[in-house]
Amino acid sequence: MPPPGLRCPGCGSSNIIDDDLHCQTQLVCVDCGAVVSEGTLVNDVVGGADVSYSQTTAVARKPCPNLLYGIQRVRAICRSLRVNHEIETLSQTNFTQAYQHEHFINVSLQRKEVLGGCCVLVSCRLLNWPITMGTISCLLDADPMVVGAIYKEMVQTLNITAPTISITDVMEAHSQEYKISPLDAPEELSADPRQLNKRAVALVELAADTWIVTGRQPVPIMMSAIYLAWQSLKPTKQRLKLTLEKFCKIAKVNKHKVAMKRVAEMKEVLCKLGKELPWIREDVTPENVVRHVEDILQHRFALLRRAMRTHEETRLEEGRTSGKDSLNEKSAPSEIPEIQNSSSAERCEIRTDVSEQPGDGDDNPYTAPEPHGSPQEDQEPNWGKRALFAPPCVVHPKKRKAPHPESKEVTGDEEICDIEIDSYIRTPREVREFTLVQQMLSEKEDANVSH
Amino acid sequence: MDSSNGALDIVITNVVSTFTTLCPLNLRTIALNGFNVIYKPGAGRVQMKIRKPNVTASIWSSGKIMCAGATSEDESKRGARRVARSLQKLGFNVRFSAFRIVNVLAVCYMPFAIHLIDFTKNNFPNASYEPELHPAVTYRITNFRATVQVFCTGCITIIAPNVENVVKGAEEVYPLLFQCMTSLRK
Repeated sequence: MPPPGLRCPGCGSSNIIDDDLHCQTQLVCVDCGAVVSEGTLVNDVVGGADVSYSQTTAVARKPCPNLLYGIQRVRAICRSLRVNHEIETLSQTNFTQAYQHEHFINVSLQRKEVLGGCCVLVSCRLLNWPITMGTISCLLDADPMVVGAIYKEMVQTLNITAPTISITDVMEAHSQEYKISPLDAPEELSADPRQLNKRAVALVELAADTWIVTGRQPVPIMMSAIYLAWQSLKPTKQRLKLTLEKFCKIAKVNKHKVAMKRVAEMKEVLCKLGKELPWIREDVTPENVVRHVEDILQHRFALLRRAMRTHEETRLEEGRTSGKDSLNEKSAPSEIPEIQNSSSAERCEIRTDVSEQPGDGDDNPYTAPEPHGSPQEDQEPNWGKRALFAPPCVVHPKKRKAPHPESKEVTGDEEICDIEIDSYIRTPREVREFTLVQQMLSEKEDANVSH
Repeated sequence: MDSSNGALDIVITNVVSTFTTLCPLNLRTIALNGFNVIYKPGAGRVQMKIRKPNVTASIWSSGKIMCAGATSEDESKRGARRVARSLQKLGFNVRFSAFRIVNVLAVCYMPFAIHLIDFTKNNFPNASYEPELHPAVTYRITNFRATVQVFCTGCITIIAPNVENVVKGAEEVYPLLFQCMTSLRK
């Protein structure tokens, strides 16, 4: 509608109408036909409104199929372990969170599968359900080291602090894997699962008190405890003759190589305690100790105290009978630390000696550097050999290299001699010879490969 | 090594440091012209070993070099300078710059054995113990950067960015270890 009061500039008429010509608005005077004003051809904004392609073609966002598959796997693992509903829910939540984190979103599918297992493991630990990493590795058919690495990363990423499991808690779940109940094995080889579990837990507790468990993998210890418990429940000739390998075949479990060593260590401890039983006349040896396991376990605390007391009395007597030698021995060990610590005045002295790294805890901190029965070693026996019970890695320590002589004071800014550096550089002739030999070797390799 | 006089020996076993040469390096030239050199084309680096001090240097073509194996911070600097000098002699326009100590690894032996389960329970959540993965307890000190690994034999390893933190770490962890000293030795 033209605004009121508008007049044509040509004839002064007020008879002006709105005329749309080719969609263009015009105000035209009816009397003289003059165009009073015209609007723009197009009223739309140049370039159009910003609408992205994804907005125009957007559909409802579907969840990632690999995430759904992973959640299904987590559920399947939970059902095969027969955990409760809370653990299943928590595992799924943890898996969803971890999967979508930047550390795990782009990893391979295999690692995502392992991640699912790790989420189940951490949920079980948080809700007090005993389960080992070995069980998860077995279910996933994955390398335990890979499972361990992903577990550590996941725990750090999700900022979870999971408590450490106790081996006695896991014992019952582990012993159920062994198929030696009366339903699965013949009568002469079967054992009641409850009694077996009880005896095995007692053996593991004894092993924990005598330094066999600390720092070791739990599965071989549990295997050896179950084997000894099974033998001792019915110590017939047939059972005592059966080796660990055959026992594992009967029970349908995979044998651990290390379990044999644990069996030997446990038998050694049982022998030390068996000697204290007053009603046993014969010598207690690893061959016949299994028959006395029941008595030993029943009175193990009293036997431990008695064994420690006997050991202390024996050492005191040895000290008295050796006389002067023992005095010399006692003074020498005190001299050696003084010599070594002669330069230390403060509580924590820093030395720049070269020494080996301790690695997996098998190092002995108390042997002297010389490895072959030196006077220093005799004067300073390690505490493992003095104590009745000690970690086996301390009792049988690794031999150490002799330390290098202490280097002179180094500042880091000394002059560097050119002659020394020249010894690290080849001459041009040596370079030519080296290149020729490399070529000859590579030609030989190619010839071998083609044949 | 009883602490009869109250002193504990902390022995530094490894110092890791890095520096740059501010120029690109041709790894093939270094591999051809250098003794005590191992070329790893798959990893894209060259390993050079120096006899005195006993240091192994990993050299990348970008000019970044990492030195490991020294037993003190000054020795590590000395070894790094020797590596830089060797590269200079090989014809590269090397300048020794941005030297810094990355890691110090030290070992200390306690005169008593340690009950790892008790130590983990007492120091949760800083301490973590996974016997299926590693036989030692890993204790992370949050006040300053240091990680202590505790073995049941009484041996501890301390990893920290410098020697000062190593000493502080040992002092901080000693009373915690003493609480978990096993009674079986008495």
